Amino acid sequence: MGRVAGKKLFSIMALCAMVGLLLLPIAVSLPSLAMGADAPDAVKKDGEAKVEKGRDVYYKTEGIAIGAPAPKTVDGPRDYPRYNFESRVLLWFANQQHLYYGSFVLAVPIFCMVIEFMGVVTKDKAMAKRYDQLAYDFIKISLTAYSLTAILGGILIFTFLTLYPAFFGYLSGIFRPVMHIYALMFVAESGTLYIYYYGWDKMKEGFLKWIHLSMSVILNVIGTLLMFLANSWIGFMMSPAGVDEQGRFLGNIWHVIHTALWNPLNVHRILGNMAFGGGVVAAYAAYKFLASKTDEDRAHYDWMGYIAMALGVAFLIPLPFAGYWLMREVYAYRQQMGITLMGGLLAWLFIIQATMIGILFLSTNYYLWQALGRMRGAEKYQRYIKYLVFVLCCGYLVFITPHTIVMTPAELKAMGGQQHPVLGNYGVMSAKNGGINVIITTTILSFVWYMRGNKVSTVSWSKFGNIFMGIFFGCAYVNIIWLAIYGYYIPANVRVGLSVPQVATTLSCLFFMFALNTAMMKGAKQMGAIEWGKISVRSQYALIMLATAFTWMMGLMGYIRSSVRLFWHVNEIMRDNSPWAYTHTVGFAANMISFNVLFFWVSILFVFWLGSLGLKKAPVEAKAGVPGAAPQPAGGH
Amino acid sequence: MTPTYQNFRGGTSVGDLVKEALSIGWPLFALLACLFVYSVVSVKDGAAKKRALFKVFIGTISALLLMLAIAHYKGSFYEANRMLPVSLVLITTTCFMMGIYFPNHAALFKIGGFMFFVAAGLSGYGNWLPQVEGGFPPAEVKLDFASMSAQQLADEGEKIIFGGIGKNKEQGAVGKGQCPLCHAFHAGMLGERAPNLVGLPARAGKERLEDPKYSKGKAAGRDYAQKEAFPGAGTAENGQEYIAESHACPSCYVVVGYGVKGSNDKESPMPSIHKPPISLSLPELAAVDTWLYLREGVDAPTFEEIVKSYEKFIPEADRPKQQEDKPAGGSDLMADGTETVDVIFQKAQCVACHTIPGIPGAKGTIGPALEEGTNALLRMKDKDYKGSAKTVPDYIMESIVTPSAYVVKPFPDNTMPKIFGQKLSAGAIKKIVDYLSQVKTGSPPPKIS
Repeated sequence: MGRVAGKKLFSIMALCAMVGLLLLPIAVSLPSLAMGADAPDAVKKDGEAKVEKGRDVYYKTEGIAIGAPAPKTVDGPRDYPRYNFESRVLLWFANQQHLYYGSFVLAVPIFCMVIEFMGVVTKDKAMAKRYDQLAYDFIKISLTAYSLTAILGGILIFTFLTLYPAFFGYLSGIFRPVMHIYALMFVAESGTLYIYYYGWDKMKEGFLKWIHLSMSVILNVIGTLLMFLANSWIGFMMSPAGVDEQGRFLGNIWHVIHTALWNPLNVHRILGNMAFGGGVVAAYAAYKFLASKTDEDRAHYDWMGYIAMALGVAFLIPLPFAGYWLMREVYAYRQQMGITLMGGLLAWLFIIQATMIGILFLSTNYYLWQALGRMRGAEKYQRYIKYLVFVLCCGYLVFITPHTIVMTPAELKAMGGQQHPVLGNYGVMSAKNGGINVIITTTILSFVWYMRGNKVSTVSWSKFGNIFMGIFFGCAYVNIIWLAIYGYYIPANVRVGLSVPQVATTLSCLFFMFALNTAMMKGAKQMGAIEWGKISVRSQYALIMLATAFTWMMGLMGYIRSSVRLFWHVNEIMRDNSPWAYTHTVGFAANMISFNVLFFWVSILFVFWLGSLGLKKAPVEAKAGVPGAAPQPAGGH
Repeated sequence: MTPTYQNFRGGTSVGDLVKEALSIGWPLFALLACLFVYSVVSVKDGAAKKRALFKVFIGTISALLLMLAIAHYKGSFYEANRMLPVSLVLITTTCFMMGIYFPNHAALFKIGGFMFFVAAGLSGYGNWLPQVEGGFPPAEVKLDFASMSAQQLADEGEKIIFGGIGKNKEQGAVGKGQCPLCHAFHAGMLGERAPNLVGLPARAGKERLEDPKYSKGKAAGRDYAQKEAFPGAGTAENGQEYIAESHACPSCYVVVGYGVKGSNDKESPMPSIHKPPISLSLPELAAVDTWLYLREGVDAPTFEEIVKSYEKFIPEADRPKQQEDKPAGGSDLMADGTETVDVIFQKAQCVACHTIPGIPGAKGTIGPALEEGTNALLRMKDKDYKGSAKTVPDYIMESIVTPSAYVVKPFPDNTMPKIFGQKLSAGAIKKIVDYLSQVKTGSPPPKIS
């Protein structure tokens, strides 16, 4: 009894410590923020006549200029000290590696939270233990990566300070309080993570487990806030606010943080990180699956790969919609910026992006079809896969077809206009939206098939449910394709609006069909077991493909987002006067992204290896529940 | 101002590539040599020894392939970067080879190989697409617009809008003003984002000013995001003033159908042209407007009249100076890198002293002929060479910045000025290096870019 009370006390103390850590940055930063607010008074005291007012470039509000104007840099050792190498490339590398690791360690605790929660609410004890062990495995992987993230963050700051001192000086002058809060939040994140990880065994049952679970919520809140703060810097660089035309800070730190692109960037990045984190864990599971020597291990890692893939894809599906929102906000903020991205200098990179999105969805579908193979009773769906392949390929071809693209005069002449005589007809936005929505809807259909692969519904209304589902999917396809075609007959500015009903159709499929399927499969008859570990080796390469493509696409989109500023450090406020104020070729960018991707994967494989050195044997009872040891209920999807 | 790049040109021989690979990977090869010695000396069992030696052999081949790939990657990083995927394919091969011979770690090698293969494919795709490179930001040249004739002014205007004289009919031509990104300029061309500007001089003074929504003379009566350009600016009284106002305050009046989405045409998506990122000065705006008139065969108002019309809508403090934001030191540059390479050679006056194949007028004999694709390697091997370059581009860069590092016989030293490191931008030097490193004796000259 005393032991349990002690544990409870320990848990509550740990929770209090975390809340304290969470509040610490705010408490510490209050004086700093207050100083910022006092600054105008100080100016007033120095000389009444010297108070200068400025107008916010974005919010258009007036404020007293308390910051220094953005420096007008000069190419030379003072503003741009350098090695015998392009500084921008060094910074690119340091930044990208930090971002990869940062995304990974922010995403994995969210997975842990979800999986641990599933473990807590699952009634099947064996299943619950499996989920718990899986969540523990996940957090263990991220722990080693966590210290690497901090080290890479340090390297990034040093790279900034030593290679771009003027720019970083200006940025840190404006974000001074935010940067301090960020650093302190990082301390809070570390503290929470360590308590969460090391407290796992002590708080594994009953009330203590809920306390432990709530710690993961706190951990993720801190992690998400950290990311939002970091996003405010890049948001400011793209769409500055809170400063006047000379770049002088006007005293309102919220304006500086809450720029035009901050919110869409936040949403896009959360989803992106989750999809990326899922990809990395899935690749880890695939590696362990391929290296497994026993059926038991293969079964465990097959299951782990499936869960990671499913979580990753769950966030991949809404990602294009978040991307559309971001682009819409970019266009609303500066039309030229949007055109540079989608129809100008960087347009070819978007063609690559479209290709990558297609690859991601094709890989996902391929994995699911392979996964049907380890399910007895799922053979009935195999013969329809060829039709899904056809639909996916059609959607993919439409999706990657460009409409307008930057060309040389010779190319224009050869083509006879800015649009290709045949292909030019297919690339308009509504058609491309149609393409990607068809792909996503088909992926949803694949998932639905997978979920009911080895089951037969026993509910009384199953026939009606199946017909309704068929009609719903059919109507969804018709609606998406019809709107894609209709887009050709209306002006461009109206056509853009068609994306809303198209997206709504896809999301309706996602939510209603999943819900309907789950209802139909409640208490369903099992046709056969899922034979975990019996999946084909090819499927594991699909997971690795998924992970590599995620990583590559993240690098690509980061590059696009950053290079759209062209020759501005801070768009329209601080000009880049370094010798590298030009945009690289597509090929150079692709090579650099590949280098970053491969460096990340080589280093993370090293992290995995490090993790395996200190591998703790799973508890005996947990092992007993590992899939593959005995046929598992299909509820383990 | 004189960055040098660690290049290893595509034209380098295989021998050089192997040498570079050995110099990068010598610790690895030393380790393999140690393993070889260990296998020979310590492993007693015949079969085990044979197996160990075979693995060392495979390991050596794989290491060589890997180092070749890295050397190739390093060498092609900037210049022949379209060849970089070749390196990745080499590494893929290495990984799969290692996976076959080291079964304990086969999964790791196969996964690694697969990832390299995917990256090679994506890199190859990126390199296969047309290569578009964003140029350096335009450097401003101080022009005396006030003393130009109307036609000269219009020519400058066309340059600002389209990037060059005569480019107005070229699709995709965009100048500093960025106007064609949204506007169309010829009859029949559809401007989806902004109105077609054909007939604007005639339309501005009548149709637009007479539109009740414009609310001529009564700025307070306007129903737009902005009532007037600045307090007290008022509204336009004639066509030219309307054009000036629409440049300075696009949201003071919005043509139906071209407003920001969701604003019910109350707000324009167009930026104020005198503000960043475009920041055209008043004389530049006068040049743009003059082109709009002259190309329709209409007499343009005088330069002073146009500037005055802008002064009505742009307060003194907001008027950009012609040289504002110019990179410091830029005014002293002979070339900023935005020019084509032949122009850079002309501006830097290289053509006066050197013969440069493929460059019009470059027939000078005061210095050596610049066939560096052939000569640079020979010169770096010369015993009199005092520089530190290891590659052709480095040598060319060094010759520009510190010409005395190697003086070609029989030309005297100290003839070539040592100022080019300061007088040419990094972009200009890069273009020169790119060009000259492709010039080879007996081969046709490279394409000018």
